Amino acid sequence: MKIVVPVKQVAVLDEEFEMLEGRVDPDAIEWELNEWDDFSVEAALQLREAAGDGEVVVVSVGDEEAEEGLRACLAKGADRAQRIWEDSLEGADPLAVARVLAAAVERESPDLVLCGVQSSDGVHGATGVALAAHLGLPRVAVVKALDYDAGSRSATVERELEGGLVELLKVELPALLTIQTGINEPRYANLRAIKQAKEKPLEELGLSELGLDSDALGAAAGSRVRSMAPPEAGGGAEMLNGSPEAVAERIATIVKERLSG
Amino acid sequence: MSGVLVVAESRRGELREVSLELVGAALQLKDQAGGPVAVAVIGADTFGAAGIDEIITVATPTEHFEAHVHAAALEALIERQQPSVVLLGHTIDSLGFGPAVAAKLGLGFASDVTALAWDGGPIATRGGYGGKVEVELEFPGKDTVLLMLRAGAFDPAEATGAPEAQAVEVDAAPRTEHVGFREVEAGDVDITKAEFLLSVGRGIEDKDALPQFEELAEKMGATLSVSRPLVDAGWATNARQVGQSGKTVKPKVYLALGISGAVQHLAGMQNADTIIAVNTDPEAPIFRVAHYGAVADLFDVADELAEQF
Amino acid sequence: MKTRDVFWDFEPALEVLWYVLAALSTLVFLYGVARPVVKYGRGQRYGLPPRRELPGRVRDALRILLSHVTVKRRDAYAGWAHAGIFYGFVVLFIGTVILAINTDLTEPFFGWRFFEGDFYLGYSIVLDVLGLALLAGVVLMMVRRGVLRPRKLDYDRPDREAETPERRVYRIGDWVFVGILLVLVVTGYVLEGVRIAMDQPGYDEWSPAGWVAAQAFGGVGDGALHAMRHTLWWFHGLLAIGFVAAIPYTKAAHMLTSFVSLVLRDPQAGKRLRAIPPERAAEPAGYGSLGDFGAVHLLHLDACTKCGKCHEACPALATGKPLSPRDVVLELREQANAAMEEIGIGGVLGVLMRRDAPSGGRFAQPVIGGDGVRADTVWSCMQCNACVEACPVGIEQAPIINQLRRRLVEEGELPANLQATLQTIHKSGNSFGERARKRGRWTEELDFEVKDARKESVDVLWFVGDYASFDPRSQKVTRSLARLFRAADVDFGILYDGERNSGNDVRRAGEEGLFEALAEQNVAVLEECDFNRIVTSDPHSLNTLRNEYPELGAGYEVLHHTALLLELIEAGRLPLDGGLSYTVTYHDPCYLGRHNGGYDAPRQILRALGCTLVEMPRNRDNSFCCGAGGGRIWIPDEPGTERPSENRIHEAVSLGELDYFVVSCPKDVTMYEDAIKTSGNAERIELRELTELMEEAV
Repeated sequence: MKIVVPVKQVAVLDEEFEMLEGRVDPDAIEWELNEWDDFSVEAALQLREAAGDGEVVVVSVGDEEAEEGLRACLAKGADRAQRIWEDSLEGADPLAVARVLAAAVERESPDLVLCGVQSSDGVHGATGVALAAHLGLPRVAVVKALDYDAGSRSATVERELEGGLVELLKVELPALLTIQTGINEPRYANLRAIKQAKEKPLEELGLSELGLDSDALGAAAGSRVRSMAPPEAGGGAEMLNGSPEAVAERIATIVKERLSG
Repeated sequence: MSGVLVVAESRRGELREVSLELVGAALQLKDQAGGPVAVAVIGADTFGAAGIDEIITVATPTEHFEAHVHAAALEALIERQQPSVVLLGHTIDSLGFGPAVAAKLGLGFASDVTALAWDGGPIATRGGYGGKVEVELEFPGKDTVLLMLRAGAFDPAEATGAPEAQAVEVDAAPRTEHVGFREVEAGDVDITKAEFLLSVGRGIEDKDALPQFEELAEKMGATLSVSRPLVDAGWATNARQVGQSGKTVKPKVYLALGISGAVQHLAGMQNADTIIAVNTDPEAPIFRVAHYGAVADLFDVADELAEQF
Repeated sequence: MKTRDVFWDFEPALEVLWYVLAALSTLVFLYGVARPVVKYGRGQRYGLPPRRELPGRVRDALRILLSHVTVKRRDAYAGWAHAGIFYGFVVLFIGTVILAINTDLTEPFFGWRFFEGDFYLGYSIVLDVLGLALLAGVVLMMVRRGVLRPRKLDYDRPDREAETPERRVYRIGDWVFVGILLVLVVTGYVLEGVRIAMDQPGYDEWSPAGWVAAQAFGGVGDGALHAMRHTLWWFHGLLAIGFVAAIPYTKAAHMLTSFVSLVLRDPQAGKRLRAIPPERAAEPAGYGSLGDFGAVHLLHLDACTKCGKCHEACPALATGKPLSPRDVVLELREQANAAMEEIGIGGVLGVLMRRDAPSGGRFAQPVIGGDGVRADTVWSCMQCNACVEACPVGIEQAPIINQLRRRLVEEGELPANLQATLQTIHKSGNSFGERARKRGRWTEELDFEVKDARKESVDVLWFVGDYASFDPRSQKVTRSLARLFRAADVDFGILYDGERNSGNDVRRAGEEGLFEALAEQNVAVLEECDFNRIVTSDPHSLNTLRNEYPELGAGYEVLHHTALLLELIEAGRLPLDGGLSYTVTYHDPCYLGRHNGGYDAPRQILRALGCTLVEMPRNRDNSFCCGAGGGRIWIPDEPGTERPSENRIHEAVSLGELDYFVVSCPKDVTMYEDAIKTSGNAERIELRELTELMEEAV
């Protein structure tokens, strides 16, 4: 079976940063693989291991920073990786990204597409489901458990709802699932494996190889950034100083006061 | 294109509170969007709220929420109403179809929106870089914009009388099969009803530290709640989880110990009346929403708090 | 004539029978030696010393063997008893060989009989006395085993619920072993007594013990003596050649394996772990199956005498974890022997005759999992090297465990917290997840600038380490040290955000790839700097910078801050302003003390400060690990069990009234501050790092 796992290299912004010309100073950003993608990659690898054979392909829309994340996925056991980038993709919103991913994923004709529910920097929660729409695949969002027997035509999933409720669903393959954290225990990619993963295929693609151009991209985009700024200080917290004893005393006072009022 | 289309949300026959918040937001935009505020109720009973111009009910072939049915229904409604703005809640159900509809129809789109404005078209405010910046989005060239609003970020409208509902037929087929529901915890605690929540996060480091905080919560007269990482690690069940995918709470007092304040968590508690946070990291994001904060070791503070109650 | 006949009164047929049996026993012995050699050949040619080193190594091993220094260590009773057994057995064995040379070689072929006259008298008394030593030693050991019952001989595995059949075999087998030795010695003397009673040779003062035994047979008639003598001769003789033939198959094998182990062992075991050899670069790292083991490590498995010294010294075992270094070694030995059984005699002979034995089989199966070594056993280790230090025969338990960890890491089988921390270190270069630029933040509270060693040349480059840079309690110590350096006019600088985690504990946790990456980064930065020496306040960093970085091309002189402080005191650059008359105890950090021999400088400083030092029972090379090493500081302990640091605090507190518990390692600062609180001793004892005491005195 073939499973495609779109992944994202997310930006981790330092607590202290500066705005440069309305955008965040790039020096304050470090990059890492999206936490949700650890879980979706792990889910894909476990399915392949259970099936005995199959292919796991990871694909990412990102610049050179994304390469490290893709290598880590290859180190964990993914078979192939693809990185799609052109400068015009800078700042692309989830819908634009979904459009681009759809072009790449379609070429693979996967049995299953596993996305993370959301990314830790954008927190849109939209790319996966938008991708499913472009691909015309049935989808389930926010999957916390996945049960699939190799060769079977459908998978049983648990959809996590607010407040501790869980819905059990069946969906026929091929399908797209967005995977929630906690579904499994992602394996560790040790550095030797990451170094050795340099031997595994990592394809670099531009828009033209996918049959897209910047107009199509523009049409697909859902929004544009108008402004960006650090949030209003909003008063900030009143800091309680002193020994743990002093802090506890004050907290106790505040609590008792607020509850009685 | 004009007007606002609100998609109400219900679960197992009960209307969810976010629906009233969506109406509240819609009413904010009503004048600028220049048109009626219509509320679509898909696969559920109608409801009432002050200020609604139209209620449209859509019957569905499935008893429960089904993402593809909802998507098809929404597409048909957009076709029918031609709204400028479509409002959904940023909820787990809506995540299943909102982005799909936006992608398919080429709409303007933004999710987890915390504030709205208007300048020739909607302006949506949301977080960026994990909530460390505030971003304003605009939607040039988009006649219809679909926005998913964060639960608890907008004031709800009053639930009062409403106009007659119009029933609309929609051709919508499910693509998943509902098998059943399951309560993860035998419903012994409802943290949304608690006045005082003692919430713990990754800072407690070890599962075996939990009993200490359970005891502390009891002593202080609080209900214990947790942040997501503890649920992921299997130390607590989802029923006690505060956050985007857990419960949204508005207690009188929210005491957060060892919670850093990731945006997904803040979304669930930022509107509490009094927020007190204790964390060893002086730059933890939670201090931005807290009213009182202390940079201290939570175990030390917890030990001392036990003495105070 | 002063001599004795070996084959007195034997019919020729019996003599021939004797020689045939002796030859058979020799063959059995030789096979017994060949089989493990084939076994070791299944391992990797990894860590073998170059040939030119062998003479020196043999000399050193002989010195250790003949002085029994490692056997006597921390157990004088066993040391002396074993010396008696060793010297007794060796001398008696050599005595037999001498006799054989005379009887079977020189006499028949060259007509030269030297086994007579004064030579014989000297021979007699030496053997009689050494035989008594052997007897005394055996009896002492039996008393130890049966009456004193020290804990290290309990043979209970901490990683199994019930006793396994192998352990019962060990218990019984060991009793049989000493029993047979006892029987051999006693029958030897009785035989001598009978001979003397029969032959009445007349120079009894040269065979005192035999003479004593002979008194028992005073009134016995010649016929009876004759029969007894024959019986005893054959009994003793057969038992003896049987025993010798069985040497390689029983506990007695340690006579051979332990010596070879001492010759081939790595003197830097644990201090300098071995890098992955380039020819194995494409293979999975570490030890997964027995075939991955280095040949010397396979030998180590056979060298173990079950003495229990490592079992006794291990801090993991002492705090209830399922790890005993002895039992890891024995479990692996049992697996290796089972693998050899599969190959069988045919296989062994085949290999010897240059035909390859079938490959794979149990040598290719994972040693961890199922009924074998448990993964949590491997993860319980603190890599403190107490086991390597304690072992009298040079077994490298901790490095073997480290190799097992390398494979577990490769397979992703590691505790979740450790995994998370390794990922954090990879991303941010430190175990705290802080931005690199925050490394130098601790300097902000100082009222002077600390030089950036990357930009300016310095005399001493101070490699601070993660804990000393980021942990608030340790930062206080770091600032103290900076102020002391300043007061002494030391030209020092730090690397600020150029510094990365030194990689010592990452390597000990089994993540070789990450260790290499960190070391390469650190070396690249260091190479750009201009300095004379490196000083570090972190013993873990000290260990790897000094012992392991040279392999990566970076050989620097590295000191611990206590050594530098002592230098400054002795040079008069840090005048001590009046003595501090505190009563303190000092905890030797594993990586400063045991790994790098740095016991004295801290003690001399304490003396110079005027403090009274009360040593804990487990001090210097026997120091008890705080529990942080080997990556364990990143893995929470099971609640409800006593942590190693708490165990140590109890030891300190039991010394009586103490002002301070003194440490010289930032991880110790963290672990013991916590342990003092959690063990409820916050009112009884306080912690100070040595630097803090020094600053008080300056």
